[in-house]
Amino acid sequence: MMVAPENYVALSAVLFFVGVVGVIVRRNPLIMLMSIELLFNAANLALVTYARAWANNAGHIFAFLVITVAAAEAAIGLAIVAVTFRRMPHVDVDDVAALKG
Amino acid sequence: MTVTALVLGPIVVGLALYALPRSAESLAKIVAAVVAALTFFLAILDPHASDATLHWLARPFTAAFHLGFGPLSYWIVILLAVATFSGVLALSGPRTRNVAAQLLVLQGAMNGVFLAKDLLLFALFWDLMLIPVFLVLIGTSNHARPAWKYLIYNLVGGLALLLATAAYGVVAGTTDVIGSAVPAGAVGATWGLWIFAGYAFAFLIKTPVFPLHTWMPDTYAELPAPVVAVVSSVQSKAGLYGFLTITLPLFGSEMEAARPLMFALGLAALLYGAFAALAERDAKRVVAYSSLSHLGLILLAVFSGQQLAYEGAAVYMIAHGFFSAALFLALGAVEQREETRDLTRLGGLMGRNPRLAGALLLGSLAALGLPGLAGFAGEILILTGLFKAGFVWPAVVALLPIVLASAYMLRLFQGIMNGPDVPDLPERRDLTWAEGIAIAPLVAGLVWLGVSPGPVISLAATIGAPPAATTSFVPEGSRVVGSR
Amino acid sequence: MILELVWFLPLLGGVLLWAFGPQLRSMAGPVGSALVGVSFIATCSMWQPAASVGGYHVPLLDWLPGWSFGLQLDRLSLVWTLIITGVGFLIHVYSIGYMDGDRAFARFFAYLNFFVFAMLTLVLSDNFVGLLVGWGLVGLASYFLIGFWFHKPSAVAAARKAFVMNVVGDVGIMFAIFLIVAKVGATGYADAFGKVASFSGQELFLICLGLFIGCAAKSAQVPLHTWLPDAMEGPTPVSALIHAATMVTAGVYLIARCAPLWSASADARNLVGVIGALTALLGAILGCVQWDIKRILAYSTMSQIGYMIMGVGVGAFEGGVLHFLTHAFFKAQLFLTSGIIIHALHDEQDVRLMGGLRTRLPFAFVAMLVGVLAICGVPGFSGFFSKDAILYDTLLLGHPFLYAVGVVTAGITAYYMFRMLFVTFFGSYRGDVDPSELGIRHPELAGIAPAGHHAEEEEPHGHAPAWLMSGPVAVLIPFSILIGWLNFGGENSAWARFFNGFFPAPALNVATIPGLSETYSTLLVLLCVIVGFAIAYVRYALPPALADAVVRLRGETIRTPALLVNAYYFDAAYDYLLVRPARALGEWFDRVIDPLVIDGAVREVPISAQWLGHLFRSFQTGLVRAYALTIVIGVVCFVAYYAFAFAGGAR
Repeated sequence: MMVAPENYVALSAVLFFVGVVGVIVRRNPLIMLMSIELLFNAANLALVTYARAWANNAGHIFAFLVITVAAAEAAIGLAIVAVTFRRMPHVDVDDVAALKG
Repeated sequence: MTVTALVLGPIVVGLALYALPRSAESLAKIVAAVVAALTFFLAILDPHASDATLHWLARPFTAAFHLGFGPLSYWIVILLAVATFSGVLALSGPRTRNVAAQLLVLQGAMNGVFLAKDLLLFALFWDLMLIPVFLVLIGTSNHARPAWKYLIYNLVGGLALLLATAAYGVVAGTTDVIGSAVPAGAVGATWGLWIFAGYAFAFLIKTPVFPLHTWMPDTYAELPAPVVAVVSSVQSKAGLYGFLTITLPLFGSEMEAARPLMFALGLAALLYGAFAALAERDAKRVVAYSSLSHLGLILLAVFSGQQLAYEGAAVYMIAHGFFSAALFLALGAVEQREETRDLTRLGGLMGRNPRLAGALLLGSLAALGLPGLAGFAGEILILTGLFKAGFVWPAVVALLPIVLASAYMLRLFQGIMNGPDVPDLPERRDLTWAEGIAIAPLVAGLVWLGVSPGPVISLAATIGAPPAATTSFVPEGSRVVGSR
Repeated sequence: MILELVWFLPLLGGVLLWAFGPQLRSMAGPVGSALVGVSFIATCSMWQPAASVGGYHVPLLDWLPGWSFGLQLDRLSLVWTLIITGVGFLIHVYSIGYMDGDRAFARFFAYLNFFVFAMLTLVLSDNFVGLLVGWGLVGLASYFLIGFWFHKPSAVAAARKAFVMNVVGDVGIMFAIFLIVAKVGATGYADAFGKVASFSGQELFLICLGLFIGCAAKSAQVPLHTWLPDAMEGPTPVSALIHAATMVTAGVYLIARCAPLWSASADARNLVGVIGALTALLGAILGCVQWDIKRILAYSTMSQIGYMIMGVGVGAFEGGVLHFLTHAFFKAQLFLTSGIIIHALHDEQDVRLMGGLRTRLPFAFVAMLVGVLAICGVPGFSGFFSKDAILYDTLLLGHPFLYAVGVVTAGITAYYMFRMLFVTFFGSYRGDVDPSELGIRHPELAGIAPAGHHAEEEEPHGHAPAWLMSGPVAVLIPFSILIGWLNFGGENSAWARFFNGFFPAPALNVATIPGLSETYSTLLVLLCVIVGFAIAYVRYALPPALADAVVRLRGETIRTPALLVNAYYFDAAYDYLLVRPARALGEWFDRVIDPLVIDGAVREVPISAQWLGHLFRSFQTGLVRAYALTIVIGVVCFVAYYAFAFAGGAR
C-alpha cells in the first residue's frame, strides 16, 4: 500500500513545529540542540518525500548534505555546550548573553 | 614630454626631498624653488608642447594616460608654477623640509588635474591633490578637526566624481575625451543628467559655493600661509576649470538646464561671502570669505553660456590666483611678525613695514576690483558678458558685492596697517628679501594681467567653441598696435 | 609720442618717488614737480593737433575685438589736461613748502604724481573702460591722500568712506558700460556716440543714469556727497588739487564728454539738472554754518560743482566747462591761501579762533579777497562770466525753475564766502580766546583737531622759503581775475570759437523764449550777490559786530539748527539704513549661519548615524531564543508571502 505524500509532509510539518517550539521555549542547551536535530530531520523528510513524488534525485542529494551539516553542527554545538558546562554549573541559555549589544 | 615632466617632475623631486635630513631647511627650499621655477620656464618656453599619451585601460572602458595643454590649463599651469615658487620661498619654521616637499607634490598633482585629458586620470589626480594638503594640515595644525573636515568634504566630492567618471566610461566606452571632438550628449539624456550631477557636486564642493563652503574658512585659517596661498590660488580653480573644460563640452544641455540653480548658488555665494567678510575678525578668514564671493561670480560666468563671460572667467581665475596668493602671503608675513591675525588687535603697522603694506595693499586693491589691476579686467568682462547674454538682474545684483568688497578689503588693510601704533605688538622689521622675492612675481602678475589680459583672453576664446576647434592652440602676446 | 609722454611722466614720477623716496629725501618735491611741469609744457606743444577738428589719437593696446584702448586729446580733454598739469604743477611747488619736514615727504609727492597720472588717464582715454580705469585710479589716489596721515583714525575713516562711495559711482559707470557693450559691442566713445540713434529712449536714460551715478559719487552730488567734507582730513594741497580743482570735476568732464547722449535724452537732462541745482543749493546752505575754514571751502566746492553739473546736465556744455576752468583757478587759490593761513597759525583751522589776520597776513588777505570776489561772480572777475553763462543758458534752454535756484544760490554763496572772509581777516585776533567762550564745547566732536594733534607729522614747519607757498598763489591770482574774459563777447568770444561745433546743438526743453534778456538776468544775479554780501557785512563786519565778536560767534555756534549741524542727517541715515544692517547681516552669517546652521546640519549626518546605530543595537539582545524567534517570524513572513503570491498566481 502506498502512503500518500501528503501524510509525510504533514508529519514533517508536525516535526518541524515541535522542533521550533523546542528551540524557542526550552532553556537547556542540550534540549535545544536536540530540537534543532528535529528541525533538520523534518526538513530531510520533506526533501525525500518530494524527491520521491517528483522523481527528482536532487532532493536525496540535499538530504545527505543536510545530514552532514547536522553532524557537523552537533559536533560543534556539543563542544560549545561542554565548554559552557565547564564554566558554569547550571546552564541556562538566557544567561549566556555575552553578545548583547 | 614637457607635460609629463610638469606632472611627474615635481612629484618625484618632492618625494625625494624627504631623503634630505630634516635640518636641511634652506637646501630643501632652494631645491623646491628651483623646481618650481623650472616648471614655469618649461611652460613658458614650450607652449606648443605635444600631448603625452600612453595606453592605460582597455576594459571595462578605454582610458589613457593622456596629458596636454588646453585653452584654460596653459595659464593655470603657469600661475601654479608662480604660486608654488612664491609659496616655497615664503616658507619658514621647523617643518620647512616637509612642507616644501608636500608643496611640490601638490604642484605635480594639480598639474595633473589641469593637464589630464582623460576623465579617469583627472579623477585620479583630483584625489591625489588632497593628500599633501591634508598632511600639512594634520602636521601643523593644533587640532585635527579642520584637517578631517577638509578631507571628508573633498572625499565626498571625489567619490561623486569617481562614480560619475566610471558611469561615463561604461556608458560611452572611453574616458579619453577632455578637449577632443566627442559629441555632446554621447551618453544620452538620462545618464547625462546623473553623470553631470556627480561632476557638478564634486566641482561645487571644491570651488566651493554656498552652502558647501564651511570647510574652506577653517582650512584656510589653519593652513600655513605659503600653502594656503597655493591652495586658494590654484586648487580652488579646479572645480570651475572642470565645469568649463569637462561639463561644458560634454553636458552642454544639462548645464543649460541647471542654470537657474547654479545662478542661485553663485549669487548666494557672492552675497554671502561678501557680507560674512564684512564682519569677520580673523584676517585670513576675511580673505577666505572674499574668495567665496569672487568664485561665486566665476560660477555665474561659467553657466552664462556667453563667450565674453567665459573669457572673463578665464581672466578672473588667473587674477584671483595672483591676488589671493599675494594676500595670503602678506597676511602670513603679518601673522609671523605680530603673532595674531585678529583685526581688532592689529593696527598701525604701515609706518614700520612700508613694503609689507605695499604688498598687502596691492593684493587688497586687486581683490576689490580696482580698475587697472587684474581683478577688474575679469570682473567687467564677466559682468558685461552676463548682461549681454540677457541675464540683466544677476548682473545688476552682482554689482552690489563690488561695493561690499571695497568696504571689507579696506577694512582688512586699514585694520592691519593704519591707525595709531598698537603698543603691545612686537616691533619687527619689514619684508625680508626672500619674502619680497616671493611676493614680487605675484604683484607683477596682477599688474600685467590688469593692463593686458589679451594673451589669456585670446586663448580662452576657444572655450565656448565646439570641442573640435580647441586643437588650434596659439597663445598670442598682447597686441600693441604701434604708436606714433 | 609726446602724448604718451604727457601721460606717462607722472606715473614714472610716482613709481620713482615711491621706490626711491628715502634716498631722494628733500629732492622728492622738486623731482615730482618738475615731471608734472614737463608734462604741462608737452601738453602745450600739442595744442595745434589737439585743437583741430577730431583731435589727436594714439592707439595703445587691445584686449579683444571692440575693447581697444588709446589716448585721445581733443579740445575737451585739452582743457582738462592743461588744468591738471598746469594747476597741478603749481600745487606741487606749493606742496614743497607746505609739506616740508613731514616724515613722509617723498611718499606725498609719489601720491600726488600718481594722482596726476590717474586723472590724465581719465581725461585722455578714448573709451569708457579706460575712463573707468582712470575713474577708479583717481579714487585710489584720493584715498591715499585723504588717509595720508594714516595714524589718525579720523583720516583713515574719511579715506575709506570716500573710496567706498566712489566705488558706488564706479559701479554705476560699469552698469552704463554693460548697456553700451550689449547694444554696440564696443567700448569706444566714437562707437557709442555713432550709434546714439539706435538706442531707445529708455536705454539712453539708463545709460545716462549709470554714468551720472558715477558723476554724482565723484563730483559730490546729492545724495553721494557726504565724503567730500570729510575728505578735508587730507593735507591742504590735496584738498586744492583733488577735492577742488580737478578730480571732483570729473563728473562735469564725463557729462560734457557724453554730450551726444545727454542731448538725446530729455529725461537725463532733467534729472541731472535738478540734482545739480539741488546740490548747489544744499551745499551753499551748509556752507553758511561751517566754522572749519576747509569745510567752508569744501561745501562751496560742492555747491559750485552743482552749478557745473546743472549746466552741462541741461545742455549748457560750454558754460559748464568754462565754470570748471575758472573754478579750478579761484578755488585752488582759495584752498592754497587757506593753507597759508593754517600753516601760519600752526594747524588751526577754526575761523572762530582766527580774526584780524588782515594785518598779519596781508598777502593771504589779498589772495583770499580775489578768490572770494571771483567765486561770488563780481563783474570783471572770472566767476562772473562762467556763472552767468551757466545761469542764462539754463534759462534759455527752458529750465526757469533751475535758473531761479541758481540765482538764489549765487546770493547765498556771496553770504557765506564773505562771512568767511570777515570772520577770518577782520576784527581782532581770537586765537588766545578760550574755545569754550566761543561755544566750542567738544572740539573733537565738532570735527576740529585738538591742538598739537598731528604735530608729530607736520612739525617742524618753516624751513622752506616762504615764496614756495606764496609764489603759486601769486601766479593763480591773475588767472582768477582774467580767465573768465575768454567768454567776453558772446558768439564771437574766444571760448565760443574754441568750442565751435564741438558740442551738439543745445536741445531745448520747452520751445519758449524767456521773458528776460541777458542784461536783466545779469542784474538780477548781481542783486542777489549784493544782498548776500550786505547781510554778511552787517552781521560780521560792522563795527558793533566786530566789537563783541566773541559773544556773537558764541551765540551763533550755539543756535545753529541741529539739521544743519548734522548736514541734513545724510551720514546718520546711511549709517542706520545701510552700514549697520550690512554689518549685522554679516555678523549673523559669520557667527550664526556658518558655525551653527550649516555646520550644525552637516554634523547631523554623523549624529544620525550614531542614532541609527543605537537603534539597531537594541535588537542584539544576546538571547539565543530571541534570535530563534526572530528567525521563525522571518520564515513565517516569507512563507506567508509566497503562499499568498502563489495563491494569487493560481487564481
